[in-house]
Amino acid sequence: MNNNASAGAIRFTDANIVYPNGTVGMKDLNLEIKPGEFVVVVGSSGAGKSTLLRAVNGLNRLTSGAVEVDGQAVPQKEGRELRLLRKRVGMIFQDFRLVKRLTVLSNVLIGRLAHVPGWRAMLNLWPAHDKEVAMKALERVGITEKAWVKASQLSGGQQQRVGIARALAQEPAIILADEPVASLDPVTTHQIMKDLVRINRELGITTLVNLHFLDLARQYGQRIIGLRFGELVYDGSAATVTDDDFRDIYGRDFTEDDVLSEDEAR
Amino acid sequence: MAVMPPKPARNWPLLGGTVAFLVAMTWWSANGIGFSLSELFCNLGAGGRLLSESWPPDFSFLPRLVGPFMETINIAIIGTVVGGILAIPMSVLAARNLSLGRIIWFADRNFMNVLRTLPDLFWAMLFASAVGFGPIAGALALSVFSTAVISKLWSESLESIDMGMPEAVRACGGTWLQMVQFGAIPQALQHYVSYSLYAFELNVRSAMVLGLVGAGGIGMILETQRSIFEYERVTMIILSVLVAVLIIEQISESIRKRLA
Repeated sequence: MNNNASAGAIRFTDANIVYPNGTVGMKDLNLEIKPGEFVVVVGSSGAGKSTLLRAVNGLNRLTSGAVEVDGQAVPQKEGRELRLLRKRVGMIFQDFRLVKRLTVLSNVLIGRLAHVPGWRAMLNLWPAHDKEVAMKALERVGITEKAWVKASQLSGGQQQRVGIARALAQEPAIILADEPVASLDPVTTHQIMKDLVRINRELGITTLVNLHFLDLARQYGQRIIGLRFGELVYDGSAATVTDDDFRDIYGRDFTEDDVLSEDEAR
Repeated sequence: MAVMPPKPARNWPLLGGTVAFLVAMTWWSANGIGFSLSELFCNLGAGGRLLSESWPPDFSFLPRLVGPFMETINIAIIGTVVGGILAIPMSVLAARNLSLGRIIWFADRNFMNVLRTLPDLFWAMLFASAVGFGPIAGALALSVFSTAVISKLWSESLESIDMGMPEAVRACGGTWLQMVQFGAIPQALQHYVSYSLYAFELNVRSAMVLGLVGAGGIGMILETQRSIFEYERVTMIILSVLVAVLIIEQISESIRKRLA
């Protein structure tokens, strides 16, 4: 299904983002992510986790510096170039972002928009190949039987699976997951995280996940990136990250609010 | 007894001034249009004669109303459909969150306001001088009128949608048009249907009035019968219009309620 296994490299060079209101979203970021890596981005709220992810697909524009995907600069204005890049970068959102009154399949097909001629998408005349890709994406998250159900009738976990399937339908080289489990209960949270890890292993899609729970980051991350006030303050393996590291990232002692399961709080 | 704070004094000059102003305005206006109570009472007799001549309604005239009535409905339908279609791009470009830049937004918004400010009768006159008096002129006038009504209301619905979904379409590599089609419009579709039905209700009524100035349909028959003093037929027409409008509004309203 995926032929981009060798692609999906991301590189930030001296990248800065300052929002119009003066907030610093990203500060002198230098970061390299290799194809197929599973990276968890942690930091307290406002640390610039979303900013980092959204800079990769051009939803946030850089104030200075550069961000590249597979050696190509991410275009800093709307247009064909940026659409071609976004075609290869799937995104998963905290609030799922599905069209509630449409079927699951229609929602997943939105991931094919950039792959088919405009008039076909407009008239809902999807080529058989694209429907096949969409169905395979649903298969991969295990909800094929929901294809004809309206998105509004699904549970939160199922809706997020549709969100993942929509990203997969893009046949992306990179998946950006912006707080994908923040609206879900603990059981569903673990299922969704496992799905993301499995997809990363099976398809080799470079995956960036924003999380605010430390135990989840430690459990599922391969590499952990810590941000504080838009600055990179930690970059290392999830296997060796210590509580002290987390304390540095958060700039404070962490509490049970920072972990998902209670027994991990200490 | 509870101790009340002293009652604040009334502002007598302001009160007296306001009353005097209203009396003066009314007196001035009544003079302006030559309205006097004495004449009104003297003419009541004429009014009574008119009423008695208008009763009973001429039910034998009813079959001849079916054709013109259908024409009125047809004018309203064409007006609503054409207006409904034109209102889609008009609304999207007039919605601040979706429009293509400030200049287009500003231009469309003001164009929309101009359309809405000019009454449907004005448009009927305009189109009548272009294509001649008749149902076509009426349908064109109502197309413009419906475009204005629907786009004014719907652009506001579009402005209040959640921009998350449009952003998700963008993030998939979708174009502006796809963002609008897949991300924005589905969220406001119910409003669109509801406002179009509302425009249809307005159009049925307007189509009748437009008939009075020669745009065909039931209004035209009303005007003809009135001018030849067939008051029993006029009563019949008014009654049937009343019933028809009530029925249409009831149906439309019940559909709109179910959509809401």
